[in-house]
Amino acid sequence: MSHSGPAGQNPFARLGRLAFLGATLVFVLLPIAWLALGSLKTRNEALALPPKLIFTPDFSAYQKIVAQGFLGAFGNSLTIALSNVVLTLLLGTPAAYALTRIRGKVQDNLSFWVLSIRMAPLFAVILPLYVLFKSIGLLDTRFAVSLAHLTITLPLAVWMLMTYFRSVPEDLDQAAMLDGATHLQILLLVIVPIARPMLASVAIVVFILSWNEFLLAFILTSRGSQTVPVAVASLAGTMSFDWPLIAAVSVCSMIPALLFVGFAQRHIVSGLASGAVK
Amino acid sequence: MLQDWRFWFLAPMVLALGIVVLFPSGYLVWMSVTHWIVTDPSVYFDGVQNFATLFRSASFASAVQVTALYLVLSTILMLILAFGLALALSGPNSPGFIRAIVVMPLVIPPVVAGFTWRFLMNGEMGFLGAFVLPNVGITTNMLANPTGALISIVIADVWSRTPFMFLIFLAALQAIPRDHYEAIRLDGASALQEFWLVTLPMMRSAVVIALLFRVIDALNTFELIYVMTKGGPGRSTQTLSLLGWKTAFQGFDFGGAAALGVVMLVVTTVCASIVYRRFLRMPS
Repeated sequence: MSHSGPAGQNPFARLGRLAFLGATLVFVLLPIAWLALGSLKTRNEALALPPKLIFTPDFSAYQKIVAQGFLGAFGNSLTIALSNVVLTLLLGTPAAYALTRIRGKVQDNLSFWVLSIRMAPLFAVILPLYVLFKSIGLLDTRFAVSLAHLTITLPLAVWMLMTYFRSVPEDLDQAAMLDGATHLQILLLVIVPIARPMLASVAIVVFILSWNEFLLAFILTSRGSQTVPVAVASLAGTMSFDWPLIAAVSVCSMIPALLFVGFAQRHIVSGLASGAVK
Repeated sequence: MLQDWRFWFLAPMVLALGIVVLFPSGYLVWMSVTHWIVTDPSVYFDGVQNFATLFRSASFASAVQVTALYLVLSTILMLILAFGLALALSGPNSPGFIRAIVVMPLVIPPVVAGFTWRFLMNGEMGFLGAFVLPNVGITTNMLANPTGALISIVIADVWSRTPFMFLIFLAALQAIPRDHYEAIRLDGASALQEFWLVTLPMMRSAVVIALLFRVIDALNTFELIYVMTKGGPGRSTQTLSLLGWKTAFQGFDFGGAAALGVVMLVVTTVCASIVYRRFLRMPS
């Protein structure tokens, strides 16, 4: 029985709960199923109404991803997301650790600063970043995008790691200090090994955020370093409306996220909500 | 200070955020007081002219209205759905796979979400827009009609962002100690009384946090609307962030767009400081 009380006590409540859950599942799954089916249909089948539910799967849309050069976008997204993960962890881990070992005003102000960046409208940094990157010739490079993604990923990572490091007892630091370890050694040889599962889930969350991000990638790139979401949006704007191709690119763009979620769901879930849930 | 190891641990992060956030937002403020139109070679200090123009413009007024309408509608729907889901799925016996499915939209790129909904809602070939809705008597072309377009965007946004709110509520519900319920049950309370007297009061701060995050998130929404309607038809779905993008990259008025950016920055900073001061400050 549900410990939250109301649901599940009388048969009507139970029926209501089932109907609500059923309706929600249809709502959630409809677009996903539509995409998956659409990617396996031919153009005419995909536009047929009422929809054809029984059809011979056609993989030509997936072949078009390769033939029409969309692999480049996947390569760009992968490079950008991976370098962003590395940058975020390198910068964020020591900072988050140090923040949990400071008391008082400095800690308070810095944590607030980090959180407020997490909440700042992207729009406030985009225009200046565009001008800045343009003036130093970094526009339309993968480096510029992965650097820009730090505005989203670094504050989130610091916040997630802070919550975790706070639970690591300071006695551990003290003990290592008595053995003559430097602070860098403590971080690398004591703290990081303990935090490995947490670091892994931070890496996954950061990867997904960077992989899915649209606005920064859209403004800062043109052709050369277009990411997958930008490619999807530009396909969607073309005159020849090739729904199976768009669906196939979309399905492929969801693979990393769904893979990761399958295998570290709990951590990702709490990670994405961190800063919102204490 | 330079001897303190913590300085060296923090410096790289502060430097990086300084480059990608602090410097740009300072630069934004400077841009906002500058006459800076890309197609016009003269760039000069222009005082508060950009703000004056912005506040007087009809497109700003309509963007504020659209943003508010979209925010209120989507938030109400999300609150109900997320709360209901959290209640229905917080029990220890609720199957994990349903939770996993419900959370899925959170990791799907918003561009993909927006595009799929646009296709579903399409009045000529969409499953919902051209098949389901006409069969239940709704024949308006959803995306071509101002109200319909806004409703479509709200639906897509609810689809994409409810999981986040659901997770906040789920965590809060599961943190309510069981003995609270047992105590009130011994007093003979009904299920409804349990909900009013225990569940709701215990969820208060989670609801406030979720709402504040929601406001900020809604101000930031861009790609979903961009791929679904590009702000149209007319200005009917043109929110503040869409207006900002259009001002900068279609109207080439960088100064005017920066002024709008400053306004949005101020609003979200106020929200962020409320969230932080009241709910998230870490115990020192």
